[in-house]
Amino acid sequence: MNAAIATEGLGKRYRRLWALADCTLAIPAGHVVGLVGPNGAGKTTLLRIAAGMLTPTTGAIQVLGGRPVAGPEQLARVGFLAQDAPVYARLTVADHLKLGAHLNPAWDAGLARRRIGRLDLDLDQKAGTLSGGQRSQLALTLAVAKRPELLILDEPVASLDPLARREFLQDLMETVAEQQVSVVMSSHLVGDLERVCDYLVVLVASRVQIAGPVEDLLATHHLVSGPRRDPRSLPGGITVISASHTDVQSTLLVRTSGPVFDPAWTVSEVGVEDIVLAYMSQAAGRRRRDHQLEEVPK
Amino acid sequence: MIWLTGRQFRVQALTAAGVLAAFAILLALTGPHMASLYAASGLIGCHGGSCQNLAGSFEAELQSTAIYPALYLIGVVSILLAPAVIGLFWGAPLIARELETGTDALAWNQSVTRTRWLAVKLAVGGLTAMAVTEGLSLMQAWWAAPLGRAVTHGAPAGALYQGRFTQLIFASHGITPLGYAAFAFALGVTAGALIRRTLPAMAVTLAIFAALQIAMPLWIRPHFAPADRAVIAVDLGNFAGGPTGAGGGSLTLVATSLPGQFGAWILSSGPVNAAGQPVSTTPAACTAPSIENSPDFDGCLTSQGIREAISYQPASRYWPFQWTETAIYLALALALAGYCFRRLNRRLS
Repeated sequence: MNAAIATEGLGKRYRRLWALADCTLAIPAGHVVGLVGPNGAGKTTLLRIAAGMLTPTTGAIQVLGGRPVAGPEQLARVGFLAQDAPVYARLTVADHLKLGAHLNPAWDAGLARRRIGRLDLDLDQKAGTLSGGQRSQLALTLAVAKRPELLILDEPVASLDPLARREFLQDLMETVAEQQVSVVMSSHLVGDLERVCDYLVVLVASRVQIAGPVEDLLATHHLVSGPRRDPRSLPGGITVISASHTDVQSTLLVRTSGPVFDPAWTVSEVGVEDIVLAYMSQAAGRRRRDHQLEEVPK
Repeated sequence: MIWLTGRQFRVQALTAAGVLAAFAILLALTGPHMASLYAASGLIGCHGGSCQNLAGSFEAELQSTAIYPALYLIGVVSILLAPAVIGLFWGAPLIARELETGTDALAWNQSVTRTRWLAVKLAVGGLTAMAVTEGLSLMQAWWAAPLGRAVTHGAPAGALYQGRFTQLIFASHGITPLGYAAFAFALGVTAGALIRRTLPAMAVTLAIFAALQIAMPLWIRPHFAPADRAVIAVDLGNFAGGPTGAGGGSLTLVATSLPGQFGAWILSSGPVNAAGQPVSTTPAACTAPSIENSPDFDGCLTSQGIREAISYQPASRYWPFQWTETAIYLALALALAGYCFRRLNRRLS
């Protein structure tokens, strides 16, 4: 499988602080990939390195098999929408479309016009006076109409209100279906990703906690509850991701390749959001323990 | 890329065109009158000693109008300030503004490499900067041409027009404005790329450019070629302020011109004794107030073996110096531009 983004020991340091450290991952092409993780996980750093906006301090990265911004061809293959969707405040919407047309050989003018028309943007309006949602749509239009093979979106909906967020994602889904473009988008809003992504990568502190097609994640994760018992006494092949206990009952989120057969247990489906949150809190708990061990050596 | 550069550069280009037009109108309104005054002065076709008097009265006539000295000063100062203004307002924001507003992510993710993006931006901005500054300079030179001719006819160098080697004239005429404009623009761009914020980049650009413009005439330009040296008889007519010897007997003689070397750039001057050693005191024979304040003071000094040593750059080196200085600034501009290319492609974080 061709990788959209593949990294090997990728790291980025700002003075003494590592924004991303020793990150090794492979994000497949041909999907709408959601990159989820808490703030500070390194999502933005990873995506900005992939888009060539940052140079890594350590490690290697390949985007669609090539080095980021290696040349005009590589640039044409990747569309990037940075956080907060920057546009030129003093240029009009029409100017932005001309900009795209002049700077991209594969520019799809028809597509750009259709999108702007559908979004009801005024061509003569200065981009600086657009609403946040409109600005994101304009920036996405620029990224899409250059007809890239891969679209990298960094927190595209974080600053939008719920309505604008839904419209943006709706529109993104239509575009993806139309254009057959691979997408990698980051967000810490799992609910939003659930609607559009068919592949998830959970990143916590530069480490991939779990990655896979959403379908597989849903099929292999279950919420089981039953009489209180020690999670360690579960049969092999079952991995506990999170557990909560009351006096008499245990509720576990588990990963298993096969079905769970135990008459004492009630098995129920879990949503993507629960799975992601379970992995994030598992990683957070592990880090807390590590920290405590470091701080209080015994 | 050229379209985008033109679109983003529109306001600046229009401003520059406006300034050039205003300058042109101002000079076009006053220049012909100055030329007619010159034509009426009788300087054209004059012979011998009468020229100097005619030139002097022509200059005095211009001085008396108040508008010509003012325009002259405005013109020269505009030419000197233009590169700094360009470096500040065109150069510094070129990269820094993109980084500040985050539009670098937009600009550098089109199918155009950063090298090409910067090449077009630098070419359009840099060439326009050079054209604007040199345009101002040429217009001013055309306007002030009668003055220059009057001075070559022997008009005393005064507030209106000084020698070509004085800093104000050297830096505002000839080809040096080209070098200043290119350098200031590249300096602004580089400062913006390094500091990543427009306002501090503007401040740094101004500080460095001003420092270099002060250092160049004081410490660097005098050494473009080894200075010539002349030892001449003391003649009070050549000295600004006359000799100063009041009371303490200390003697300084600052030469303002060198006989037979019209337009030479005098770097240093001072009295020397018969052995050629610099002296700083008036010989005892000349210290009496009756001699010190008399027109024959120079005769007394001469009789005591005191002569005046002058180190200077002859007027014939004006153009070699112009080329040298312009080449230095252009080379600096190119080096800065090269650094910007590297920085944009290698390290941007």
